[in-house]
Amino acid sequence: MVRQPITWQSLAPYVFVGPAILFVVVFLYAPVLFSVGLSVFDWNFIRPEAPFVGLDNYARIFADPNFRSAGWNTVLYCLALIPAQILVPLGLAALLLRVRAGWVAGLYKAALFVPTILAYSVAGVAWLWLFDPLNGFFNTVLVWAGLPTLRWHTDPDLALWCVAVVTFWKNFGLNMLLFLAALVSVPKDVLEAASIDAAGPWRRFWTIELPLISPTFFFVAVTTTMGVLDDIVGTIDVLTEGGPFGQSSNILYYMYQRGLGFFQFGQASAAAVIIIALVIVVTWAQFRLFERRVHYAR
Amino acid sequence: MVKKTSLAVSRRRFVQGAAVAAAATVMPRRAFSSDAVVTISSPWGADRPFQQVVDAFNARQTGVQAVNRLDGDYQEMATQALASIAAGRPPEMMITGWKFGYFARRTLGARDFREVDAARAEAIIGQFRPQVQALVEIDDALIGLPWAMSTPITWINMDLWRDAGLDDDIPMDVPHDWVVERAQAIRAALDGQGHPTYRSALDLSNNEWTSQAYIQNAGGFILDGDAIACDSPEAIRGVTAFAEPVRAGLWTNLEFRTQRQAQLAGNIAIVTTSSARSTALNASEFEFRGVKFPGLGRPRTMNSGGNFLAIYAREQELAEASMTFLEFCASAEGQTIWSDVGYLNTSIHDIAPKPNQEAAYAQLTDGLTPETIWPGSRGLEGQDVWRQWIARVLEGVVTPEEGMVRAKAELEPVLSAG
Repeated sequence: MVRQPITWQSLAPYVFVGPAILFVVVFLYAPVLFSVGLSVFDWNFIRPEAPFVGLDNYARIFADPNFRSAGWNTVLYCLALIPAQILVPLGLAALLLRVRAGWVAGLYKAALFVPTILAYSVAGVAWLWLFDPLNGFFNTVLVWAGLPTLRWHTDPDLALWCVAVVTFWKNFGLNMLLFLAALVSVPKDVLEAASIDAAGPWRRFWTIELPLISPTFFFVAVTTTMGVLDDIVGTIDVLTEGGPFGQSSNILYYMYQRGLGFFQFGQASAAAVIIIALVIVVTWAQFRLFERRVHYAR
Repeated sequence: MVKKTSLAVSRRRFVQGAAVAAAATVMPRRAFSSDAVVTISSPWGADRPFQQVVDAFNARQTGVQAVNRLDGDYQEMATQALASIAAGRPPEMMITGWKFGYFARRTLGARDFREVDAARAEAIIGQFRPQVQALVEIDDALIGLPWAMSTPITWINMDLWRDAGLDDDIPMDVPHDWVVERAQAIRAALDGQGHPTYRSALDLSNNEWTSQAYIQNAGGFILDGDAIACDSPEAIRGVTAFAEPVRAGLWTNLEFRTQRQAQLAGNIAIVTTSSARSTALNASEFEFRGVKFPGLGRPRTMNSGGNFLAIYAREQELAEASMTFLEFCASAEGQTIWSDVGYLNTSIHDIAPKPNQEAAYAQLTDGLTPETIWPGSRGLEGQDVWRQWIARVLEGVVTPEEGMVRAKAELEPVLSAG
């Protein structure tokens, strides 16, 4: 067998892709592997000794009522936010598509997208004022309407839902834009043909537009599911810091508190490994269940 | 024709230039200055009295330059300190909360002043009152300058007080029942009357600090030495009294930031919180009066709080430079500038008290215990556990008895972790 000489052309792809791969390995895969390793040690980064503790960190966090509470909250957040962050933006995008005046559509798009580009710190301050139990906007309205006031994010029964509302408000805009871009690209001739065949708006949406944007729908579903854990953390940190007594925390915020609040990096890493495993399983299930329903060809 | 310009740089010149540029980047600042630079990680920005202390020190040109670095609250500072220590570049000094004493010494490795320079250490600590010196002794090491002390007291908004028709003649020593009765009177007079600022009668502060004060004033302790004592009858009596106003609807249980803003906005009539809030309250548009923390029918056992200034520099030269800054902080000049922040003067220097500090000084004279310093490698988690159980009791999720028993059960494995 004659070995091909190494030429610039044969090397070029590796040279161009190399930096990107290096970046991903150094900043993504290496930390993940490091976390997996760290999860079986008891270390705080500065103590010289780091005793091997096996699965003790996992046992400890599973025995921790705060972890169980954070886990249950995570389920509630997912049940509330994943459908909301997919279906509401889809509905808004479908409505926006039907707004005829260009500048009105632009105004709506801008208004609906602004929360997405706001920093969590800025959005948090605004919402803290809205929720303020003594002077906030919402309670002022309730008083004006003759209704009893609420403690909003400081009430253990409401804190989680306040976080969910702010997270939704902060994040739905991007999904809306993705759906809008997909809907715009649906071929007009197909829709016109359906109209001629007397298909109404709902039927056109359900049988033509939705199947044709299914790749985008699937992409949004997967990224929203993966992102919902992360998106909530910013809101929790600004609004409630997980309180009152952990009622608004989730497992990612639990991990953050273990690591950067209590400096128990072994336990934080164990929580991280559990989160990674959960995300992998859920994403795999999504691909298994839904990818076959996606129409990639047009 | 466009003339091409070219810059002829030989390989040798390029390498030389690159070497100079790299050296300029990595060489420490001290190489360019005769001053030793000590960075102080602090929770205060350039607009606070601490910066004035730093500026006054730098104006002396001692050969040491102090740099104040705003790093957030105690927790955020501890996080940054841990990261920078792990990276091998700790801040030379850090403002550290009293409650993080063990963490500062055992985990972050706060230096023993006596180990840096015994004679100077004794001279520095000698500038402070004997009763506060023990607060900065952790594991037989002198790890801090005990210069920022506060204690929880009762703050009364006199404008709301008068609007409710209450008598201006307020005793310095106020019992808990007296406070609750007055709060009820204020609520009866102002609630639903469309008062421009009034929103709530009372706030005892939902945190680990004021709950500790209630427990101690009832004769109990959260920790008795290393033993958890929060389930004693006395401690339960204290927590019961602490939670009672929430159950009675007098206290809208707010988180710290909202409560502070509401107090300054004249929304809450009576608040028990840090005496160090005097500076902000004195500067507000409302008239506030400070009286002692609510008593529970026996002599108070009030706790202190605040922070100390610790050295983390590993190099002996920088540790000694830090001592130079501490000498200034402990001096009469440093303490006079510092007193503007609203903390109690714990030094031996004669500094006139600020307005509205009488109650806090009275409590200091009566004697203060430390705030709870949670021991063990999981001490920070211990504090969080305690706060959560206090919050549950305040919300009525558990009774005080059940809350304290369960708090103890959850705290035991945390604090026994070593």
